Amino acid sequence: MNLERLPNEEKLSLCRKYYLVTLAFCQIFLFISPGGFAFLPFLWLVNVVWFFREAFLKPAYTEQLQIKAYVKRSALGLLLWVAVLTTWITIYQHFRAEWGEVGDYLSFTIPLGIP
Amino acid sequence: MSTLPVVFSAFQTRKMDLLSNKWIINLIFCLFFIGVSCNSVENKIYVHLNYTIPCVRLLNATHQIGCQSSLSGDVGVLHVLESEANLDWVLKTGPNPPYMVILDSTLFTRSIMMKLKTGSSRVAGVVVVAPSSNPAEGFSPHTTCPNENSGVYSESYDPALAHCNVTVWNPLGNGLSYEEYDFPMFSLKDDNDTQAIKQCYYNHNHVVNGSSPQYPLCAMQLYSHMSAVTDTATCMRRNGINFSLNPEIVCDPLGDFNVLASTRPLNYTDKGHKMGESVVIAAARLDSRSFFFDIAPGAESAASGFVTLLAAAHALRNATQEAQPNRNILYAFFQGETFDYIGSSRLVYDMENKQFPLDLDNVHSVVEIGQVGLHGESKLWVHTDPVSRRNSSVNEEVEKLIRNLNSSALNLNFSLQEPSFSQPLPPSSLQRFLRARPIPGVVIQNHNSAFTNKYYESMYDNAEYLNMSYPPNLTPEEQLEYVTDAAKALTEAATIVARALYTQAGGSDPIQLQNINVDSQMVTQMLYGFLVKSNNSWFQQMVPSDFAIHLRERPTNFYVGVTQQHSEPTLLVQYLLANLTGTTVNITQDNCQNQREGEDDKESKHIYSYMWVQGAAPPNSTERVAFCVRSTVRLSKALSPAFDLEEYTSKDYSTWTESRWKSIKGRIFLVASHELEMLTLGVGVAVLIASLMLTYIISSKADILFSSGREPTAATY
Repeated sequence: MNLERLPNEEKLSLCRKYYLVTLAFCQIFLFISPGGFAFLPFLWLVNVVWFFREAFLKPAYTEQLQIKAYVKRSALGLLLWVAVLTTWITIYQHFRAEWGEVGDYLSFTIPLGIP
Repeated sequence: MSTLPVVFSAFQTRKMDLLSNKWIINLIFCLFFIGVSCNSVENKIYVHLNYTIPCVRLLNATHQIGCQSSLSGDVGVLHVLESEANLDWVLKTGPNPPYMVILDSTLFTRSIMMKLKTGSSRVAGVVVVAPSSNPAEGFSPHTTCPNENSGVYSESYDPALAHCNVTVWNPLGNGLSYEEYDFPMFSLKDDNDTQAIKQCYYNHNHVVNGSSPQYPLCAMQLYSHMSAVTDTATCMRRNGINFSLNPEIVCDPLGDFNVLASTRPLNYTDKGHKMGESVVIAAARLDSRSFFFDIAPGAESAASGFVTLLAAAHALRNATQEAQPNRNILYAFFQGETFDYIGSSRLVYDMENKQFPLDLDNVHSVVEIGQVGLHGESKLWVHTDPVSRRNSSVNEEVEKLIRNLNSSALNLNFSLQEPSFSQPLPPSSLQRFLRARPIPGVVIQNHNSAFTNKYYESMYDNAEYLNMSYPPNLTPEEQLEYVTDAAKALTEAATIVARALYTQAGGSDPIQLQNINVDSQMVTQMLYGFLVKSNNSWFQQMVPSDFAIHLRERPTNFYVGVTQQHSEPTLLVQYLLANLTGTTVNITQDNCQNQREGEDDKESKHIYSYMWVQGAAPPNSTERVAFCVRSTVRLSKALSPAFDLEEYTSKDYSTWTESRWKSIKGRIFLVASHELEMLTLGVGVAVLIASLMLTYIISSKADILFSSGREPTAATY
């Protein structure tokens, strides 16, 4: 989809939709399942990359302020997620062998032949 | 209007025909090339090893033992070790680590292996060349005190006798089988392939007068990646995880079946204590092991014992059928005794939990036949447990049993003696019975204190060690019938055991006693079948036809193996025992295979078992005359109770498991130096970048380079 051809209101609604959907899903899945909600912050990444030029590099138009706000919030959410995931992944990879039973029950694939 | 589509579609189909014709011709062309010349580049680089015997990983409640390679194989530069001092090259000074060390069997010692284990960052693997004859000084990779923690001698039973404080049973044991190695170890035969490997080393890798060897060097890659790790509890837990993305079984418990038979039939549906039944258990062990996987010739450690018991059971057949003695005799052949008494611990557990037609209260005494291979002397030793003999009633029964044994040995050129000092029992199945309650019992062995077996649980414990020597130039049939010295000695031992069992079971007729004689022809045939070649005419007669194709041209492998696979010795002993203690019955094949004597017979299958065996071909025809054998032989499951109770860290029962693996193979090739590899990679990357840049430049200047041809045609107008 080429953003150039869209009217400004539609650009704003798209940006807002991506931001809100991700926020909602993250909050829901935080309480329901520990599973695939790790992938949803990618929508925030998409938001930042796709609308970056619209928000900061184009000459100003009416909706741009709101788009800028959504992009900034998406970037913040993304950074937070990256920090949390990196910390968790480092801890898990380092300590899974020591955790024994708990480590095995947390894992989706257990490597063969190494502790 | 309508003709246009017709013409169009006709045109299309003609084009299709042309296209498909083209494809067919292309395909035939390609197949032609494939069929005619198959020049595989892989075959020019790699030479695959044909005969590879790996060392695999076994786990128990606390440890893992054995070897492990990395998932994509371990590559190492070949080095034939000349002496222990030469280890310096491998561990410190050699310029091309990691090394794949090739050891001759004389160098396969504990000190060298421990040094290789500590320097394992420079060791990619070890290959042991198995010799064609046994080493004279003896070799035993087992521990010095076998089954130390699973027998009866513990701190609570008698601390002075625990942990082999009184007698070290296996003094030659170097414990190599029970160490953990993080590199693969394979065994190769000493044949032409191994000579070629050593030649590769001498051509490329050998060091002459201090100069370092030049690339390319000869290298070997060994794959033996084991899936299980840490201990049995971890691997059984990982077996059972359901919600992982790829559930995989990583290990299997060791176990098989015990073979049991009795002189008086037992009703197998009536489990628990049997009123009025008093049983003498005659026990022997069926299994053995060695350092490497699936090699366990077990001649003295296993075969000598159970062959003696099989021969004694046959000799007792007539005596116990014509004039039944008051007590029953239960012949028990236990599997898995090497690995913390899997079979006997299971039988005792079943007896205690009313899963077996007898109870421990029904057991009167136990006679166990241990290692009875004789190397010239005519003397056997009778071992007893000093702690249970402190009880006077048990002591009286034991002394009666020993007197029975001695009186049986009187008429033969044999002597049976007790060890001169108070000594605990050697590792034996009787220990598991004593763990449950004090039962009078003896273990018959060929050693006074420490084992005389120089090759206990090693790959050298074979027919050669038992002195089974045949005169040269005999056909296999003649070898089968030839009575070796080993067979003669075991015949004497079996006769003593048979007569003693008859007396112990309460038989008192002296004429019957004198008629109990073991046939040495049968003993030598059994020894030949188990220790030289199991595919022989005598075994072929006694097995059912669907098992006959599994008989091999080599000695039986006595490794117990994992529970799911039936091991060859269990089935062979089952069929042999059925034929030797059972009777032929005249019933149809259909009835025989359905375990009944007639159409309406529903009771016989609880007491007897029926086997339809191949039989022999009569002298003037080639068709085998099959028949049905009725016997009291049963298989009872020999899986450690720890797996049924799911106590994988149990200290009371065996917890041995064997890891699973994906592929085991090895190959040899030449490796280039690291610098050459980097140079090749660098040149390749440079060519890639150069061609990309060239393409970019040409495409961006394409209008200048390719348009100059058009001007003249425009100029003609």
